[in-house]
Amino acid sequence: MMPEPRQIAAATSDLAQLRLDVRPLSPTTSVDQAAELFLQPAYARMLCLPVVEHSRVVGSISRHQLNGIFMRRFGRELHGAKPVTQIMNTAPLIVDEMAPLEQAAGYVTTHLGSPITEDFVVVRDGSYRGMGVVMDLLSALQRRVESGSRQLGDAYRQLKASQAQLVQSEKMASLGQMVAGVAHEINTPLGYVRNNLEMIRDVFAQSSDALREHDRLARLLLDPDADETALEQQIAGCRAQIAALDELALLDDTAALFSDSLFGVDTIKDLVVNLRNFSRLDQARVAEVSLNDCLDQTLTIAGNVLKNRVQVIKRYGEVPTVACSPSQINQVLLNLITNAAQAIEHDAGKILLRTEADPHWVRAHIQDNGKGIAAEHLKKVFDPFFTTKPIGKGTGLGLSICFQIVQSHGGTIQVVSEPGRGTKFVVSLPRRAVDAASAEAIAA
Amino acid sequence: MSEPASLLLIDDEERVLRSLAMLFRGRYALYTTTDPQAALDYINRERVHAIVSDQRMPQMRGAELLREVRLRSPNTMRILLTGYSELDAVVASVNDGEIFRFVQKPWDATELRDTVQQAATISQALFTASARPSFTPEAPAATAQHEAVLVIDDDESVFRTVTDLVGEAHPVLWARSVDQALDLLHSHAIGVLIAELSVGGSSVTPLLKVLKAQHPEVVAIVLTPFHDVSVFVGLINQGQVFRLLPKPVRRGTVSMSIASAMKHHRTLSHAPERAAAHAVAPLDQAEEIGLASRMMGLLGRLRRRAAAV
Repeated sequence: MMPEPRQIAAATSDLAQLRLDVRPLSPTTSVDQAAELFLQPAYARMLCLPVVEHSRVVGSISRHQLNGIFMRRFGRELHGAKPVTQIMNTAPLIVDEMAPLEQAAGYVTTHLGSPITEDFVVVRDGSYRGMGVVMDLLSALQRRVESGSRQLGDAYRQLKASQAQLVQSEKMASLGQMVAGVAHEINTPLGYVRNNLEMIRDVFAQSSDALREHDRLARLLLDPDADETALEQQIAGCRAQIAALDELALLDDTAALFSDSLFGVDTIKDLVVNLRNFSRLDQARVAEVSLNDCLDQTLTIAGNVLKNRVQVIKRYGEVPTVACSPSQINQVLLNLITNAAQAIEHDAGKILLRTEADPHWVRAHIQDNGKGIAAEHLKKVFDPFFTTKPIGKGTGLGLSICFQIVQSHGGTIQVVSEPGRGTKFVVSLPRRAVDAASAEAIAA
Repeated sequence: MSEPASLLLIDDEERVLRSLAMLFRGRYALYTTTDPQAALDYINRERVHAIVSDQRMPQMRGAELLREVRLRSPNTMRILLTGYSELDAVVASVNDGEIFRFVQKPWDATELRDTVQQAATISQALFTASARPSFTPEAPAATAQHEAVLVIDDDESVFRTVTDLVGEAHPVLWARSVDQALDLLHSHAIGVLIAELSVGGSSVTPLLKVLKAQHPEVVAIVLTPFHDVSVFVGLINQGQVFRLLPKPVRRGTVSMSIASAMKHHRTLSHAPERAAAHAVAPLDQAEEIGLASRMMGLLGRLRRRAAAV
């Protein structure tokens, strides 16, 4: 992550904050005078003192060096009056005040001897600014690393949350597509069933009238005092009504409307049952299901993208059931079948659905004769966010989610493709139920 | 009328066809088919007053079929029936098919019956008018040059684009609010409207609908970045807009649309019976009806002025 400009400023002031105001020695300071200074409380923390001439750092002298002199017999008498320049370290640790904390720490730790006998000199544009203690520098660095890893941790958590959100929005997008498809499928039967009902209501009203008139006729016929003209009129009226019903073959056609309507209602019922099976909202999350059933349920849901456009060929084998999350596996199959249909841009589209089993695996093959996937894209198809669709048309998450789902089932998903000829995806699920831990993961 | 109007029904689902056929039986000379090619062949052979077509059919989309029908028989009123509102279908049916109504499944039997009845009556009038020798829809009027193009849009670049494209042939006016648009409609002879759906924070949709109801010869082109199917359907059924162009606009498309809109306007002005083809469905929203009454006075004046020209 690129640091904000403000953070750079904070880093430079970090070194300035570590800086201690230490009055430097001049080159003429004697060794004795230097030793006296080390004894003063103000310099108690210092391991070494700088020697500065015209604000340029020329060297440093450390307690360690003084120890070396004073611990020798007559050392103080021999060397005490000499200027510090004769024994000083002419290559002290020098860092620029503006250097980033990490860079300063890197330089200091690389050049620091063992045991630690010196502090580092802080300069700005070559001029002496003060001294710094190595331990202060290291603890500042540690604090920096800690805050860095906290930021990394936060960033990681945010990334994870937004990934979950993306996966969720991909799910919602495919759900939306599915709902749109099913809504269209339901609208057609709903359209004619509703129309039929309105017409049947009219015919029913007409028939009721006719029945009432016939009832009146029956009463007239039974009435010994009935007026002959009234009877004739009633007979004529009834005849006219029956003729009206007959003329357009209304009653026969209404019977046909009933069977069409029942067919339509059954179509809607099948769609709803399939939608329920597909989502498994009312069933256990993990169930023993046959991939053949899963494919069939998915086909009804995908009907909208396939209808009349692609020929679906089923070559189902005798496959045993597998323990899986059916709604997740259906999501994978829907994604693969929808992709297959979208890859077909010609009129002779075919999708082959094949299932098979061996002693360890149950497999579903989804093969199309669409445009295929270019070799350079093929190895990326399961990568998150990889898409060849125009911006806004696909999240590029569909197949990566499929991959994750199949993987969490202990299975594999493979793809082979030839541009211009078609693509085949193979989903393999283990026959033996995955262990309890992954079953939990699937359910989660 | 002595002979019943003829009605062509097409849907790939037999049960829909049976149901519709039953609905219209006895009132029309019916022809039903599941095959778009058969429908076109029939239209080539016979006079058809109205066609009701499904949108989703395997061989051909409904919008595409209605475009073909318009080319072969412009007097045949076109109604598109669709299960699920597809934006593309709506836009294509307007721009290519110039359809009379967009009806969504499941439909209301009485409403559909009324819509088809209205379409058939209009079509019969159009066929009668076309048969008259004096009918010359393409003849440009001497005063045509003076008909203005009114741009209703917050975006000045649209006004400038339109001025660039047609400024030499027509005065181009610019309104940034519905009230300004009303004033300009009052003071100028407007042939073509180019409108964004929302301007100065208020909706232009009611204006378009009311204007078409009162002044069918004013032709409207709608430009919009929004894709709301229900708004578009309302614009077709109640506003009879001539074109729906997505924003950002392309010069070529706008230029072509204005040219055909102006031609269409002249046809409508000089053959008022043709304007009946754009009869609109009644408004159903209270706010739109409110605006309608507010506009009545103004439009009355507009009408008197149009009559004086």
